[in-house]
Amino acid sequence: MMNGALYQVKDPLMNMPRRFVLVALAVTVLVCGARAQQDALQSEADRVAVVAAIKPSVVAIFARGGQGGGTGVLISDDGFALTNFHVVQPTGPTMQCGLPDGVLYDAVLVGLDKVGDVALVKLLPKTAGQKFPAAVLGDSETVREGDWSIAMGNPFLLATDFNPTVTFGLVSGVHRYQYPAGTILEYTDCIQVDASINPGNSGGPLFNMKGELIGINGRGSFDKRGRVNSGVGYAISINQIKNFMGHLQAGLDCDHASLGALVTTQTEKTGLGRMVVTSMLEDSDVARRGLELEDEVLAFAGRAVTSVNHYRNVLGLYPRGWRLPLEYRRDQTRKEVLVRLMGVQRRALDDPNPPKEDAPKPKVDNAPKGPPSPAAKYFEAKAGFANYFFNKREQDRLLQAFRRHGDFTSVAGNWTLDGGIRLKKLRTESKARIDIVEEKDGTSAKPVIRLKIDDFPYALEPFKGGQEAAALRAPETSGGLLAAMYVYHRLLTQGAKGFTEFSHGGHEPLYPPPLPGADPTLPGLAALRVDAEVLNTRHGPFLTKWFFALADQKLLGFELRLNENEDPCEVYLSDYRPVDGRQLPHRMQVQYGDGHYGTFRFNSFAMQK
Amino acid sequence: MNLFSLASRRLPCAGAVAQQSFTATVTEVNKKMVKLFGAGGFKGLPSYGTGVLVSSKGHILTCNNHILSSTDLRVHLYDGRFYHAKVLFREPELDVALVKVLDDVDFLPHYEIDKAAAAALAEAGDWVLAFSNCFHIATRDEPMSIQHGVISAYAELRGRRGVFDAPFAGEVYFVDAIANNPGAAGGIITNRKGALLGIVGRELKNTLSDTWINYAIPVQARVDIVREDKTESVDMRTFVKEAIAGTYKQSEKRKNKEDRGGYHGIVLVPNAVGVTPPYVEEVLLGSPAAAAGLRPDDLIVYIDGELVPSIKVFRDIMKQVGPGTEIKLEVQRGSKLKGVKLKLTDLNKVKAAK
Repeated sequence: MMNGALYQVKDPLMNMPRRFVLVALAVTVLVCGARAQQDALQSEADRVAVVAAIKPSVVAIFARGGQGGGTGVLISDDGFALTNFHVVQPTGPTMQCGLPDGVLYDAVLVGLDKVGDVALVKLLPKTAGQKFPAAVLGDSETVREGDWSIAMGNPFLLATDFNPTVTFGLVSGVHRYQYPAGTILEYTDCIQVDASINPGNSGGPLFNMKGELIGINGRGSFDKRGRVNSGVGYAISINQIKNFMGHLQAGLDCDHASLGALVTTQTEKTGLGRMVVTSMLEDSDVARRGLELEDEVLAFAGRAVTSVNHYRNVLGLYPRGWRLPLEYRRDQTRKEVLVRLMGVQRRALDDPNPPKEDAPKPKVDNAPKGPPSPAAKYFEAKAGFANYFFNKREQDRLLQAFRRHGDFTSVAGNWTLDGGIRLKKLRTESKARIDIVEEKDGTSAKPVIRLKIDDFPYALEPFKGGQEAAALRAPETSGGLLAAMYVYHRLLTQGAKGFTEFSHGGHEPLYPPPLPGADPTLPGLAALRVDAEVLNTRHGPFLTKWFFALADQKLLGFELRLNENEDPCEVYLSDYRPVDGRQLPHRMQVQYGDGHYGTFRFNSFAMQK
Repeated sequence: MNLFSLASRRLPCAGAVAQQSFTATVTEVNKKMVKLFGAGGFKGLPSYGTGVLVSSKGHILTCNNHILSSTDLRVHLYDGRFYHAKVLFREPELDVALVKVLDDVDFLPHYEIDKAAAAALAEAGDWVLAFSNCFHIATRDEPMSIQHGVISAYAELRGRRGVFDAPFAGEVYFVDAIANNPGAAGGIITNRKGALLGIVGRELKNTLSDTWINYAIPVQARVDIVREDKTESVDMRTFVKEAIAGTYKQSEKRKNKEDRGGYHGIVLVPNAVGVTPPYVEEVLLGSPAAAAGLRPDDLIVYIDGELVPSIKVFRDIMKQVGPGTEIKLEVQRGSKLKGVKLKLTDLNKVKAAK
């Protein structure tokens, strides 16, 4: 059937006998119809090809024993797969996964993002070096309302042979917000689709028409028709999951983020609204950075905020602890600051029932009967972690790579760093010398860190009794540079052994300040961002976060603080050069709060055994 | 003469790519849609809805439903602009109403009802896109939700909600997209190019099969109405144009159906003023109302989702509720709203039992 008006025949045909005109039109209809049919057949063939290409990566997830279930999708050839938290909640830390080729695998839980409803699991290969068919991760920022999409999964647990069901539909909306109604699961910045999403689809992939993974399906809006597809399904965007991927791979039980500020839309009588700060937590980083009530929030992490949904959406994209730029306006001035995200207040998870029932009702017993799963030996429970086994794995990998830049275990004695410092914004350099030593105190030894800037001496005995917090932050306005040097020495010379708490913290962005003399007209704070992997340590009163380059695990910097809700002493290391076969940073920038303490330039390093 | 050269010259075929993205169409249509907020907010009765702009000055065509009975009707345009609005005219027989933004606005993107109504009716098998703010997913400047589907049939609507028949009784487009969700009424269906085809209807069940249906009232819809004791034919286009001009005359209420109501046992306060609200004066002993927990001084606000503003409306509604039917009332008791389930019985049986 042709769309709309008939083809208007021009002059030559006007003089033709009617018969000819009819034939011409008939041919037009046939050719046109044939073209449309050809198009449709080609589109169908394209769809079939895309489905065939992506199907092998779709995983049917069951609790051990085969009850319950949902879907997942493989994202790496060594067997990591994504799914929903509420799919693995009833299965427990070990589960079974079936692939469309009919093979059933044992699998173990790796990482969790409960609020975001994401879980990372790992399938155990059956042969050494086995490669799993992995989906290609897309960019969910390129997804637009009106695009086509394909969902694959196991709705109603129809697939007893693990062959996923395919549903096809439009992207009905992007950057959608779904409130955590009755659960802790908050779907921020999600993709809304009218492809059929039903119980059992949870945890499964949403693909674009190129076969790229753009989301994980997990939720729908239901009303009078009951808990079956009502034309509205939601998928967690893959870009959000990418932000948490470092955390998930490190076996963490992630926390989502809050700014510590309540932002609401204020409209004059009519017209457009403004996003205004209406309350703030006193101990939040955003308060320390100078945000005040009545300030107008313009953008966060580069995204314009024009409604409360936008605000909630952009916050939901990031893990707690990440540092991101906030743009706001006060009076007529625009300001930009880097803000550290706080955690959200999470309700206790004592509800054993998943909010979206993926199975007909049989109760799942978390303690499987019979011998333990082969996956059990890859699971280690530890408070604050989804699976500490993988955290330990990441720690070991990171330290091993880090040590390639220099093994300091044999120079665990006193250190002296000599050079100069440009304090604050002074143009001239002062002499500087840092000593990290152990001094005999009767029969015992006590650590002492000394700093000398020109003729001014500073010293800290970190474990001297009765010291106030202010003393531990010596020298003044540095936030704790002396203590920072102490833990730095400790990490390099002792590694994990030197700390009472030591864990991998996933990935976080770092913002090394511009070097002195650099162009001051920078294109905003986002341009400074460097993504890093993180270690979190505790020794005595000192909490330290260490940032390592993703590419080669070089130590880019670290932050030292005495407690969670305060500004840390920030140390940035650069200009690495080999000294005695070990890479050492010849430049060290120190910041505290909104102030720059100084930039050190080291000439010599003396390290004793 | 070369017939093939004719055929190859810009054929109006059904699109070069059968699977193109609709992003461009969607963006344009979205600018003509508005989010409405008004009365409601109880389970089954959302306080949000959808509307479509039919003039550059902020005239909005929407479903003639409960949200419009608010004194504070509010609108968000596609870019987040907020306005108060009011109902100008209703036509219950077409199940539509015309709303106007209460501010001086102009140059708003909108549909021309003349053009839409002059187009040919769409047919079964035609592709459609549905636009609405179902489930109140979008706020402020966030775009409408869109769905795809086909017209399954063009046939008579036999719909009901609870015990009430659907207000519109003519022929509608049935679609296979699940378009009729909370808040979707007043949304639109378009063809793939974004041309307006119809107004998304209410959440109704088919009276014959008792299954949920998804339908839209075509822009060409025409009904017979009774006005000033004369029966006349009115179509959607005339309603919109006369409503914008301010000259529309609403149809008279349909004649009451014969009384087939069941026994409830509610005695209301005397109908002193013409629009006395339905306050309960007495609940008869042993009656269904007593069993349901109704009390004197309760004010009946909603019956099965229908607003009950006066005793007359209460009586009209109850005439249609037969014995054995269970209805859900929302009553105001003190400062709270209570849901009450009331199952009517057969008055004859009650009398016989006495």
